[in-house]
Amino acid sequence: MIDLLTYDFMQRSLLAAAMVGGLCSVIGVFVVLRGLAFMGAGTAHAAFAGVALGYLMAWPPLLMAILFGLATVWVTGWVEEKGRMKLDVSIGILYTATMALAILFIGLMKTYNAEIYGYLFGNVLAVTSEELGIIAGLSIVVIGAIVLFSKELYFIAFDQEMAEASGVPARRIFFLLLTLIALTVVISLKTVGAILVFAMILIPASTAYQLTHSLSTLTWYSVLIGITCSVGGVLISSYWDIPSGPAIVLLATVLFFVAVIFSPKRQRQSLSTT
Amino acid sequence: MKGHLKIFDCACDELRCHHRARIGYLPQKGVVDRNFPVTVLETVMMGRYGTLGLFARPSGKDRKIALDALAHVGMEGHRDSALGHLSGGQQQRVFIARALAQQPDVLLLDEPTTGLDITTQHNVIELVQHLHEELGLTVLLITHDINMIRSRVDRLVLLKTRLYAAGPPADVLKPEILSQVYGKDLVITEKDLVIVEDYHHHH
Repeated sequence: MIDLLTYDFMQRSLLAAAMVGGLCSVIGVFVVLRGLAFMGAGTAHAAFAGVALGYLMAWPPLLMAILFGLATVWVTGWVEEKGRMKLDVSIGILYTATMALAILFIGLMKTYNAEIYGYLFGNVLAVTSEELGIIAGLSIVVIGAIVLFSKELYFIAFDQEMAEASGVPARRIFFLLLTLIALTVVISLKTVGAILVFAMILIPASTAYQLTHSLSTLTWYSVLIGITCSVGGVLISSYWDIPSGPAIVLLATVLFFVAVIFSPKRQRQSLSTT
Repeated sequence: MKGHLKIFDCACDELRCHHRARIGYLPQKGVVDRNFPVTVLETVMMGRYGTLGLFARPSGKDRKIALDALAHVGMEGHRDSALGHLSGGQQQRVFIARALAQQPDVLLLDEPTTGLDITTQHNVIELVQHLHEELGLTVLLITHDINMIRSRVDRLVLLKTRLYAAGPPADVLKPEILSQVYGKDLVITEKDLVIVEDYHHHH
């Protein structure tokens, strides 16, 4: 185990896992509280379609992923605001439509491109130092924005209408949150993949949700759980030679069910019903 | 009748964030997610956020204001409780404290007693009256329950899709006005009550 840590690729992937795990678990707090869980999944698939188009047209894939991701969250956010249709319906449509686009783009390619599948399933062990730099840079931007607007983000997560009424520019903060979700998804794409990034956003915050009644404690628990699972997952994956994405997500899932079983909230409820 | 509504010398459809921060608003009682992880003090602190504006971080002073607001509604002992563990009436007090934490010029309460039991309803109304007297706050209260507020208000505005009457309670609570609004005859007793009764149809 100690030997492994001396390899450059191992150090890079642990660092990448810690950053992505931390980032996803912070944004996850607002995603879970604001009820945007499904949006994460939709955005991930849209971003993947962007990657596929990037490879097809020989455009920068990461940039295309950001554009596709942003377009998806803004359209769904706009639809939710107008109240024209239910959010799960509009995301459901965009989710499948962007996935269809991704399959179409891949089908249009003349040659088989293994790199694309790296974005679908992710491989944190293959992170290059250049990608590590991009992850670090974008993480600083997203975390910086969250810290700067944390009080407004918490308020709209709790009650957006009330936030608007008491003088917070809630609409703009909501679209900022959507933008940050899209960026987080794109940052995580290469390391955990389009399919599993959703779990990375959702599970740590949901696990923390079982354990506390305080917003600030919830956030710290979520970050702690997110980083622990990511780093732990990478170590498990290299030690037992299993894929890193599933190792991270399954570790987080196990922790989630442990938290559900031992949740103080659940115990309180069962006490009050007896 | 035509006209323009102005709030703080500002046309009401152009109300900006810093205007809204001067109105302490208690929305209609929605369904509070009982598991939403927020403490009472965290909830009341949110009342400071609009007033503080973007980029400003809450300081010790804001915390003091929030704690004072909790004391005004008699909930200071619950500051670290989970909001979801409180009763409906207690939650209503916490939300009033959040409105107070804005240090507003006006308190706007939208059906503050709906969904509460009768004792709690009276407690909430008494709290509002107490705040009005203690803090000198202008209170605008929307309710269906004329009886509850009749003896406590300076002015009543009777609305049902349109404006029916506005003025001191004695000028508004007249049988001919009320029967227009409610479509039924009302008996207004001297002391305290307006009784809705369709006594014409009793057999």
